[in-house]
Formats: sequence, C-alpha cells, structure tokens
Amino acid sequence: MSRSLRWGIGLLLIAGLLLGAFFFLPFRSWLPGGTVGNVPTREVVNGTLFNRLFPAPQAGEQLVFTQEKRGFSQARLKQGAEVRALLSISDVASSPASRNKFMHTEERLQSWPLVDQGSQASALLVADRFQVKVIGQGSGLDEQQRHELLGAFDLQSLAALNPSVVQAPAIPSGREALPPGQQAPLRLPLPGMQRQAPQAQPSQARAPQGAAPRKPSLFSFNRAKAALEPAA
Amino acid sequence: MSATVLERLERLPRRNLTVLALRGISTLVPGGWQNQTSPEALISDVLGSDDLDLVQQVRARADELSRARHEGYRRALSLYDAVNRSQKAAGGLRVLANVAGALPLVKRLAVLTPASQTLQAVDLSLKVAAEMLAFTQVNGLPGDSFAAFGDSLREYSGEARVRMAALVCFDALLPLGDNALHRLDGLLGQVGSRELHQLPSYAGMASLLPGRGDAAHLSFMRRGVDQWLGWADGFVGELGLSGQRAVRALETTIGPWHGGMEQLATFLDAFTDTYSHTGVQAVARRLVERAAAEI
Repeated sequence: MSRSLRWGIGLLLIAGLLLGAFFFLPFRSWLPGGTVGNVPTREVVNGTLFNRLFPAPQAGEQLVFTQEKRGFSQARLKQGAEVRALLSISDVASSPASRNKFMHTEERLQSWPLVDQGSQASALLVADRFQVKVIGQGSGLDEQQRHELLGAFDLQSLAALNPSVVQAPAIPSGREALPPGQQAPLRLPLPGMQRQAPQAQPSQARAPQGAAPRKPSLFSFNRAKAALEPAA
Repeated sequence: MSATVLERLERLPRRNLTVLALRGISTLVPGGWQNQTSPEALISDVLGSDDLDLVQQVRARADELSRARHEGYRRALSLYDAVNRSQKAAGGLRVLANVAGALPLVKRLAVLTPASQTLQAVDLSLKVAAEMLAFTQVNGLPGDSFAAFGDSLREYSGEARVRMAALVCFDALLPLGDNALHRLDGLLGQVGSRELHQLPSYAGMASLLPGRGDAAHLSFMRRGVDQWLGWADGFVGELGLSGQRAVRALETTIGPWHGGMEQLATFLDAFTDTYSHTGVQAVARRLVERAAAEI
C-alpha cells in the first residue's frame, strides 16, 4: 500500500467521522428556542399527572380532554353538544409572568389566591406553582358557577405535585445513601448523562417554600429510585 | 424565522376561490362556517371578553408557544403545507393533461399523467394520516385511556365540521363517486410503492410517518383510514352528503359547472387550498385556547 493511499484513507476516515458527528449527534436540542420560555422540559411537571385531578362531570355533563402537553392539560365541559367551559391546569414554571396577577388579590378559595380575568375567566394559583383556570364558553358562566368549578378540582393532590414542596426529609438518607463521588451528579453536556440528572436535580436546586402536606408522591418515588440505582 | 401560527392566520385570504369553495360546501353543514382570519377576534371569542390588555397578553403567549420547536404547532402547519403543495402539483399536472388531451399533437401526454383512482385513494389516505399526525402534534395524547383519546379525536373533527366536509367531498365523493368510502380500503389494497412514490407529498411526509419503509407506511395509512372511515361514514349519513349535492352546493358560490365531477375535483385540487386554509384556522383555535389558559 503506497504512502499516499494510506494518507488518503486516513483523511477520508477523519472527514467521515467529523461529518458523522455533525449530522448524527443531536446538537439540535442544545440550541435555544426548543422549549417554551427556554425552560428545560424536565423542570416542568408533565400534563399527564393533571388529568385525574379534573372535576368529575355531573349528570348530563361530559368532560372531554382536548390538549395534553408538558406542563399543561385542558378539557372541555360539555352539556349535550354545547361547550359550557374550558377547564385547564398549567404549570407556571414556563410562564412566570402569569404569577404576577395573583400578587395583589385578597380573594381566596380554599386558601389559594383567586383572580377574575375579564367577564368569563377565573384563575386560581395552587401552591405557588399551578394555575387552575375556568373559562366560560358559549352562553357563559357566572362568577359563582366558575368558582364552584374551581373548587371541584382536586386541589390538595395538585398542591402535592409541586416538586419544590416534596423536600429532602421525605427520604432523610437520600443523599447520604449515594456512594462518594456520586452525591452531586455531574451535568456534563453528554446525551447519555442527561438521563440521570433530572431525578435528583429539581428538588435540590430550589429552596423550601413554606410547609405543605408532605405526601409520598411520584417525585419522592423517583428520588428513592435515584438513590437505589448506583448501589444495584 | 418563519411566521407564527397567528401571523399565518392573519395572512389567510378573505375572499378568493378557496374561501368561496368552503363557503359553498358549508351550506351543507348545519352551523355554517365563518372565515376567521383575525387573531384578535378569535382570542376575544375564546376568552369571552374584549379587554384589549388581556387580548394582547394572550397573543404574546400564543406567539411564544408557537415559536417553541418542541410544542409542535408549527410542525402541524408544515404537515398541512406539505400535503397542500403536493395536491396542487398533482392537480396542476392533471389540468395540464386535460388541456393537452384536447390538442391533437400532444394527446399522448395525457396518458402519462397519474390520474387513476388508486392514486386519488392514496392522496386521501395521506391527508387523513397527516390529519392524525397533526392532531398529536397540536394536542399531545389527551386523556388517560384510549376511550378518552377517541373522544378527543371526535371532538376535534366535530369542531372542524366544514373542514371534514370539504375533505370528504373534494377528495372522496367527487373524484371517487358516492360509494367512495366503501371502496377506499379495496383501492388502497392495490397500491404498491410505485404509486406511492408518484405522489410528491409522500416524499415530504415519509419521514414523519411512523415505521420504516413503504410497506410500514402503507399499513399505517390503511389503519389510520380504517379508523377515520368509521367516523366519516356516520358523518356522510348524518349530513346526507353526496357528489351531486356537493356540486350543487359549490355552484351556489363558484358558479355553474358543466363538466364532470372528476374534473371538478381536479380543478379544486389545482386551484384551491382548502386543506391548509382550514388547517391553519383549526390549529390557531387550539393554540389560542391554550394561551388563554396560561396567561
């Protein structure tokens, strides 16, 4: 094999590897603008968890789920063919500005701040994290009816979904149980590493915000799993 | 950067052939149809209030949502655009073939153009598949069970009744005849990968369809159409749709038509974009409903 041929093959290989790295590695997800407000999706509570917290429809009514995304779930309350209201739960992590309107309100519903927006919408901020909203459609709902609908959501379970409420004491030995060197998982920008980080990360990053019922929720389960995995 | 969903809504035509065709077909659908092209009007309709400040907040939020790549609102629109482009290309070819067929020297060209019924069936099933993909892009997978998902899908198609009526009439009843929906599965059975590749929209959509290879895509399309057929059959029966009625409804707005139904379908394919027009409106409504809930 001649010398120039060897050089040629070597250069081809290098060029191929570089091109492959550029086209096949998922660089795209590192670019800004992929998610709403550039908030990483793992810091937003998934909309699937909201579905079972919607109020049960009364006789003659029907609840049809229409949208479910990361941090958002929406359903329509229908009576026959007519849409009475849009019911929704959203995580304000991706829309921090929506929190501002609750600052000046004195109204409370089950101790959570309540705001009316325009003539057909009422919103409730639960656990400083989740916005529950009822928007009257068609012939509309009066204030009383909207507030009753807001109260019919499972607000306690919703508050328990807040990841910053479920604090370390839920599993006291959670951090110590990790072997030395893995207590704070490094967040290198490698695709494979990202999968480990989210389970331990969100609850440690935030300071505790007031005392709230500490229920063993899905998040504490994840933390327990994160603590067990390295040992196994 | 391309336009956001609400900007696309603003740019939709207020009066052209597409709007006239839709207005014509909407006479068959109870409840009628409004050519909604103003984001502000749409927002205040959803919100039930004209408060300018609130409307602006919703608009800003909607633009932020549609700019986020992971949210899929714009991906749904690009799906509609892909289907629309191919429909126009194929329709244009067929119009050309019709014209050429009348000229003695270039008569042979007419034989070459794909106008067969199987191709029309594939075109329809691609549209239905695009509709389902766009639904999941826009709405996610709502509900916790398959039944809830089915309800949600029905709700979506019921909301856009004129859109569905246009799809059924322009892409099934006019080109394939009144028993189109019953023949569709049989026609799709005859489709091979050669026919599939003759459709420009397939090249655009292939990467978005689940599965690898033409056979997997075909079986996905057949399953998608199967589900849709159940609904569409009831819809056609409920409204009493037929090719004749569609032609008569169209004549009220477009003017008298003396050709055959197939030619009318070709003409509509080539010169209107009803599919992407109503698609933008449907996506915009869902987007605004979300934005209104999040402000």
